[in-house]
Amino acid sequence: MTKAKKFGMYLFLCIVSFISVFPLYWMVSAATNKSAEVISGRLVPGTYFIENLKNLLATQNIGRALGNSFKYSIILTLVSLVVCSLAGYGFEIYHDKAKDTVMSIILLAMMVPFVATMIPLFQMVSKAGWLNTTIGFILPTVSTPFLIMMFRQSARSFPHDIMEAARIDGLSELRIFFQMFMPTMRSTYAAAMTITFMNAWNSYLWPKVIMTDTTSQTMPMVVANLTEGYVTDYGMLMLAVLICTLPTAIVFFCLQNAFAEGITGAVK
Amino acid sequence: MSKSSKKLTLSKKHNLTGWAFLAPGAILILIMSFIPMIRALLLSFQSGVGAQMKPCGIMNYTRMFKDTVFIQSIKNTFFYLIIQVPVMLIFALILASILNNKDLKFKGLFRTMIFLPCATSLVAYAIIFRSLFANNGLVNLVLVNLGILDQPYSFLTNTTSARIVIIIALLWRWTGYNMVFYLSGLQNIEYSIYEAAKIDGASAVQSFFRITVPLLKPTILLTAIMSTNGTLQLFDESVNLTNGGPANTSITMSHYIYDMSFKYVPNFGYSAAMSFLILILVAILAFLQMKVGDKRD
Amino acid sequence: MKRKILAALLASTMILSLVGCGGNGGAASTDSAAPTEDAAPAEDAAPADDAAAPADDAAASTSGAGELTVWCWDPAFNLNAMYEAEKVYQKDHPDFKLNVVETPWDDIQTKITTAATSGDLSTLPDIFLMQDNAFQKNVISFPDVCADLTNSGIDFSQFAAGKTAYSVIDGKNYGVPFDNGAVVACYRTDYLEQAGLTVDDFTDITFDQYLENGKKVLEATGKPLISMQAGECDLIMMMMQSAGSSLFNEDGTANIVGNDTLKTVMETYKSLKDAGVLVEVNSWDEYVGSIVSGDVAGTINGCWIMASIQTAEDQSGNWAITNMPSLVGVSGATNYSNNGGSSWAVTTNCKDQALAADFLASTFAGSTELYDNILPSGALATWAPAGDSDAYGAPSDFFGGDAVSAKIVDFSTKVPSNITGVYYYEARNAVATAITNYINGADIDAEMQTAADTVNFNMGQ
Repeated sequence: MTKAKKFGMYLFLCIVSFISVFPLYWMVSAATNKSAEVISGRLVPGTYFIENLKNLLATQNIGRALGNSFKYSIILTLVSLVVCSLAGYGFEIYHDKAKDTVMSIILLAMMVPFVATMIPLFQMVSKAGWLNTTIGFILPTVSTPFLIMMFRQSARSFPHDIMEAARIDGLSELRIFFQMFMPTMRSTYAAAMTITFMNAWNSYLWPKVIMTDTTSQTMPMVVANLTEGYVTDYGMLMLAVLICTLPTAIVFFCLQNAFAEGITGAVK
Repeated sequence: MSKSSKKLTLSKKHNLTGWAFLAPGAILILIMSFIPMIRALLLSFQSGVGAQMKPCGIMNYTRMFKDTVFIQSIKNTFFYLIIQVPVMLIFALILASILNNKDLKFKGLFRTMIFLPCATSLVAYAIIFRSLFANNGLVNLVLVNLGILDQPYSFLTNTTSARIVIIIALLWRWTGYNMVFYLSGLQNIEYSIYEAAKIDGASAVQSFFRITVPLLKPTILLTAIMSTNGTLQLFDESVNLTNGGPANTSITMSHYIYDMSFKYVPNFGYSAAMSFLILILVAILAFLQMKVGDKRD
Repeated sequence: MKRKILAALLASTMILSLVGCGGNGGAASTDSAAPTEDAAPAEDAAPADDAAAPADDAAASTSGAGELTVWCWDPAFNLNAMYEAEKVYQKDHPDFKLNVVETPWDDIQTKITTAATSGDLSTLPDIFLMQDNAFQKNVISFPDVCADLTNSGIDFSQFAAGKTAYSVIDGKNYGVPFDNGAVVACYRTDYLEQAGLTVDDFTDITFDQYLENGKKVLEATGKPLISMQAGECDLIMMMMQSAGSSLFNEDGTANIVGNDTLKTVMETYKSLKDAGVLVEVNSWDEYVGSIVSGDVAGTINGCWIMASIQTAEDQSGNWAITNMPSLVGVSGATNYSNNGGSSWAVTTNCKDQALAADFLASTFAGSTELYDNILPSGALATWAPAGDSDAYGAPSDFFGGDAVSAKIVDFSTKVPSNITGVYYYEARNAVATAITNYINGADIDAEMQTAADTVNFNMGQ
């Protein structure tokens, strides 16, 4: 690659990164300013951070909300990855016409806006006594057509000769899945984990329907609480939002090497 | 004879194993999605205020084609779909293949920065975008100072610019998200293929079209279906950035359905009927995409 | 045979899978998956009972003992008021307890809609706060949700009539009025001074005079008099109510085509905008921002806007309030109106409605002490006896030493009542669309006709 080309590439990446990060910079700097300054468009960091933090901790139980969000999101992510990858693997590796048809039907499940299915779903969860519980939170989204399809698509590149070899060695189908597929597909799992965690963490409409108790409120619900008053404290709100954004960002940062650095060859 | 029958049982066995593997996920979806969907379908043949519903035949389905706001919302949504989805996917693909370059420095940093927008909470993102495009916001400030505009332009109260702001916001928020799938998909392509192509004298652009795109086809199909679905159910941006305005010219179908359910006098039969129209539209598009992209060869 | 194996496999994977108990999520759906049933509810039983199923003991009714669950939003304002009310009530009823759950209004609306539509009211609290504009809609759509409070011992006659009207449906009282939404016009006195004007020039005026004064201020300072959120018709609705007019007739039909008040309001709004006296902004944040950063010389809104204005500490002493301008050429035009505000509702799910009613009667409808205690948070009463209290006469330094609280309570008694209408939000959106198009040059009569068609379409189900 020529020097000029290289320079162009870096310049392009820098511009894209700047545009991506700028609003986040704004958020961080807003968290250190007074409400009136934030709303008048001040862009430089201020000295009001400690004050905002004090106010936030005084009005909202951030610790509990974070704890709830972590609990719900982690459990949902782990269960979801197992269930969906198993299903995606099943759909692809043992594919036949019937399974392809079932896959298409399953895809339909994500095409109806949640608003329409929310009320019957609420009825089911409420009757089962799962309001304000982890299981109530995770059940509707623990198995998603999206994740199943994601694993189905990536299982397509899972080499068949390895499977045959493992079968000849006498490995059971389940062990092939756990011992061969899972490690090979590390990058898919890492990407799926990032996305699922993020979706769980940010989910709002469903928790707001089934969480009727203060003690089960999640982080996005706390953020919503802050925007509802007659007076919005924008500095405090931005701090809460920042706290709400960090976990997903950290999860991404930690997992990115797993899904973006080449690991093919690990199986060989 | 005995050999072939053994083979048959083996493939039978595999077939059953497949079903067993996909059963937990499929059954969960059956219970948590299809049962509510069937209930919603039944509801779509009823009409009434709040909880007082009466059967009404297909009235809800004929009604929506006389609903000027809903028709407007369909047009708006398709406008977003046609422009935003292809641009976003192409852009994400380009970014992913650049960031997959072995010799690139600070890859992790660039990747994280480009991913960050979709991790940002909706509340912050909405406030930030509204303030950026406000009359005295940063975008106006820059454009006026550069002499491109004489006076601040009210981006969110003019139809075309309001729609464009929504598209920009969508691109900003979801490009990094789609990039993740491509990056992860690219890991399954052997780097040596690129090196071989290079030795054969292929340019970067050529290997992008001849190697990257074909090998990523399953992932591209996945993201295309997901983005189509996501855009047809677009809600957040319409509600939080423009509130559907000016005069409903940027409202989306899901936004209108939500209003119909929770803001207006609730008519869930009608909401359900409109939701099923979305299902039909997405299903047709997804079916076409599967036909084109879901071939095993 | 094959089918049998398949069934067995399915069954076993269900039990094996972590979430096998999903099967009984369909209490209404299937018969399957009993096996894991007791595993999940066991761990869930504990957290579920204190929220979902309130008031285990429906024992004592008027003894004042017991716990009530309340949903409301805004800790500094509504939650604070509820906690103060709890303290007041506990003086005579030491065994009384409140469980206040902070819930934004949008969430309350979603939860009520979901619960009522699915026929499962057991998830509702005992008392919740409801936006006044949504009262008619919710009571008509979900007649089972709100308890009738007409004969509950609460004296509704002591509340401002214009305020109580929001929560009266078919002659029955469903809500205890709470916060005041009386409209105030706020002005930056330092800006007015530069134009050679004072607040007196803005008191008891018409919109014609407002426009003339606004031009002077614009010329002298370059600042518009008022900013408004585009696509929201707050000001339109305030102007309508100031003349006692609304978008609906007594019988519930839409009153848009041929509504001369509405036409005058729209024309007035456009003339303000065309003159540059009124500037439209894109969002609520920008609206508040334009006030606190001094980009406008004033605003007209419900009196609760004053709390936001006061966050601009550097502008203390430079603000004054007075009544709003009146419409010209409209019968019944006044200088008083209302915007926003909310009322307490008791649900039918409340196991001890007598207790809930008694609690509200002795606090929000019977305690000057409560209203004195919550005054510092900016919560102003619509309960007439509270306005006579000394606390309401205290001057506000921020607003130039004026006794603003007493002034607002006085305003609120003069607000003409109007018909909210069940289809309030539909009509409001339709009119917002009409005004947007009208400002951009569309024909006013045609736009009003379209708005009426939209509303009639929504009503015709």
